[in-house]
Amino acid sequence: MDLYKIGIKLFVTNPQAVRLRDFIPVFHGWIQQQKIAGHQLIDVHDYSHVHNGPGILLVAHEGNFSMDQEGGRLGLFYYRKRPLEGGFEANLKSVTQTALQACTLLESEPKLDGLKFNTKEILVLTNDRLLAPNDAGARTKLEPVIARTLGKTALAPQSADPRERLAFMVTRS
Amino acid sequence: MTWKEKLAEKLPRTLADEIDVYETQLELRKLGKIDEKLFAETRLRRGAYGQRYDNGQRYDGVKTQRLQFPATTLTKGPDTMWDAPGMQRIKIPFGGLTPSQLETLADCAEEYSDSILHVTTRQDFQLHFVHIEDTPSLMRRLAASGITTREACGNSVRNVTACPLAGVCRTEAFDVTPYAKATAFFLLGHPDTQDFGRKFKVAFSGCEHEACGLVNMHDLGALAMTRDGKRGFRLYIGGGLGPVPYQAKVFADFVPEEELLPTAQAVSRVFARLGEKQNRARARIKFLVAKLGVEEFKRLVDEERKILPPDPRWTAFIPEAHGFKETALKSPSSLNGQAKPEGYKAWAETNVYQQLQPGYAVVTISLPIGDLTSSQARHLADFARKYCGENIRTTVEQNLVFRWVAEKDLPELYRELKTIGLGEFGAGTILDVVACPGTDTCKLGIASSRGLARELRKRLADQYFTMDAAVRGLRIKLSGCFNSCGQHHLADIGFYGNSRTLGNRKVPHFQVLLGGKWLDNAGSYGLAIGSVPSRNVPVVVERITKRFVKERRGDESFQDFIARIGKAESRKMLEDLMEVPAYEKDAAFYSDWGDPREFTMGDMGMGECAGEVVSRIDFDLQAAERLCFEAQLKLEAKDLAGADALAYKSMLQAAQGLVKELWYDVPNDSEVIVKEFRARLFEPKLFWDRFAGGKFAQDFFRRHENPPSRYDHDEVHRLIEESQLFIEAAHACADKLREQKAAQLSQVLK
Repeated sequence: MDLYKIGIKLFVTNPQAVRLRDFIPVFHGWIQQQKIAGHQLIDVHDYSHVHNGPGILLVAHEGNFSMDQEGGRLGLFYYRKRPLEGGFEANLKSVTQTALQACTLLESEPKLDGLKFNTKEILVLTNDRLLAPNDAGARTKLEPVIARTLGKTALAPQSADPRERLAFMVTRS
Repeated sequence: MTWKEKLAEKLPRTLADEIDVYETQLELRKLGKIDEKLFAETRLRRGAYGQRYDNGQRYDGVKTQRLQFPATTLTKGPDTMWDAPGMQRIKIPFGGLTPSQLETLADCAEEYSDSILHVTTRQDFQLHFVHIEDTPSLMRRLAASGITTREACGNSVRNVTACPLAGVCRTEAFDVTPYAKATAFFLLGHPDTQDFGRKFKVAFSGCEHEACGLVNMHDLGALAMTRDGKRGFRLYIGGGLGPVPYQAKVFADFVPEEELLPTAQAVSRVFARLGEKQNRARARIKFLVAKLGVEEFKRLVDEERKILPPDPRWTAFIPEAHGFKETALKSPSSLNGQAKPEGYKAWAETNVYQQLQPGYAVVTISLPIGDLTSSQARHLADFARKYCGENIRTTVEQNLVFRWVAEKDLPELYRELKTIGLGEFGAGTILDVVACPGTDTCKLGIASSRGLARELRKRLADQYFTMDAAVRGLRIKLSGCFNSCGQHHLADIGFYGNSRTLGNRKVPHFQVLLGGKWLDNAGSYGLAIGSVPSRNVPVVVERITKRFVKERRGDESFQDFIARIGKAESRKMLEDLMEVPAYEKDAAFYSDWGDPREFTMGDMGMGECAGEVVSRIDFDLQAAERLCFEAQLKLEAKDLAGADALAYKSMLQAAQGLVKELWYDVPNDSEVIVKEFRARLFEPKLFWDRFAGGKFAQDFFRRHENPPSRYDHDEVHRLIEESQLFIEAAHACADKLREQKAAQLSQVLK
């Protein structure tokens, strides 16, 4: 399965320590320096007015990064948009690495003093209802690959609503 | 498996074929077998639009970066990189939407865009940051749920809009929904609508005195009327906003319903045959109607109507239209004094409309700047299935409405809306700020209309409960440039983005327009008062509204108030807010709302002199602006000849100022100024807008060559608008001349 439209969300452990719009100048700074390898960073979009939405969005050609508030939890959400070369496992690895890289960069931003991400809890999401519909078949197929790739101790499928994207919450030791 | 294969059985054949053809064209373009211009129009006619930075360049606050896309040479149109994110516009005829369509839109927003669905001022949806290669799948998924993107952009019949209350309104003549739908699908892809020089917008209204479908600002507007018990429409022609707004003219007082579609077809034929094709800036039908006069235009349409081959579709929809009735999900009911959640009263006051049908209400779901998330959209689909069935519509104020909600369900629906963050009150009030995409995503945007809207909404919400009721009822609309997508002309307080140069720095500004009329189907347009720095706009709103409350006489409307105090006084009220502090004193003025980048030309550095440099051209342009404003005062005083002369003089002044930059001794002779302006600035395309081309200069030449022999209010009004735009263009041209001079100087110094 050449699934590459994969999203990874890492949650902020101390959301009270930051204001959402503080990420705007940070992301603009990333564009100036093109800080994410393998990504053409393009623009910043402010969705802070939308309830539990994409928050502050950093648009790149290959995939988007956002300080996302979906589900009422602030986190860095990276989702791949353009094809990757590998199969699902390699693609998941690549997407996860990019998300972790972005988190590390954010934690080191002086303007976001004290921001911390929880790397033990990861939301993995497939953003492709054709290749990975939210059903038992796709769940069974992807679950072991995700477990193998991310080293889980617990892996919980999220919403069973077939309209929603297939997603798993992975808790690592 | 592909979406094409998966949806093969679900797609109507014609839609499937159209999308297949589009996909083939996309592949051919990749192979270089279709010209980029042709491909651009092809994708536009499928709603796939360009977006900011798609020329592959972006100013990052320090320098202009070249965006390194994988496809380095492939383009999807002139100066438009293949891989650059684009916008997909999705037509929703008369705004009518079902829960399952909303779910499809939500899925597409997640998988191809950024999980945001944006409702536009013409009842469309827009998805942003979409890759061109994803568009065929996106279109197939929409088509499978009965939505087409065909002719959502390009030189075609755009989304046919209608009042979101049609059918449930307490004051309408009759329900225009089936007529809007019939017109939309009759004109869609019709051979007579394929050769327009420019877009064509149609709207339907059920009432004359409400805002309704805003027929006065449309290329073709249809206002429902009955005569001797028979249904028909008063048709309006040649209205439109854009840089120079035109009020539509009455084309016919009463067109019977069976003549609606053939008349629209005949209008299309005349527009396609006689409308301007070369000069894009004068290609809308409003220019053709103004040029021919409405009587002659009507004569041509009537002639065309006589020779149209009969088409059964002209009348086939009529029996269905008469029997058209939406199905309510539940029986009518009243509130019956049940307990209401906290906040319900304020919400119900602004967001609930009692339908004509007793026991039912229309609920407006306020969307902040027209945005909702995919997750919210899915919840709304669930709520619709629970409370109102298939009866959802988008509105031109960038909201959604649920129709046919049983009144007893209102408190519960409100409670559920609050759980997804969509229980905000304030629909149709000063809080309901409308804004086009502006610099966020639009290629034409000059200033951040959405950034400003966000700021205004926040500030106004804090003050809402202490505001005078008259202020609460005002409307604010913002456009990022003069093209009016935010419909700023129709607002009580409207703004459009522009910029001014101070020393070597650019400052985002908004032109203030006061006194536009939303009611009476966009009854009148506001006039420009002056340009203020973007940072001062919240203070402008506060000052104007405070003064309105203080000096209002009885039930005086805002329009009457502004007319009474006059434009000179209005401007005087804001004059100190037009000043820009020095960069060193307040650098915030030099960046836009929500964007930390300095609002300046990327590669223009600070001059050697630390002081503020005000050049001669700035003085000349300032003088031109003053003349333009004085022209407005003359118009207000009904001195049409004086207004015309001053408006022309303001353009002449600006033109002379520019020519002086190249030939200092240009005499004060209008013939010489025009001749030199043409040769030195217009022909070399220095006075040239990237998108409007030479339009602004041509307006000037036209007035110079054809001074009026008699004066008409609308014509003079238009000339004033044109002179305002001419001056805006002169500012842009002055910047180009400065850049040229700086480049020459650096060559000399080398």
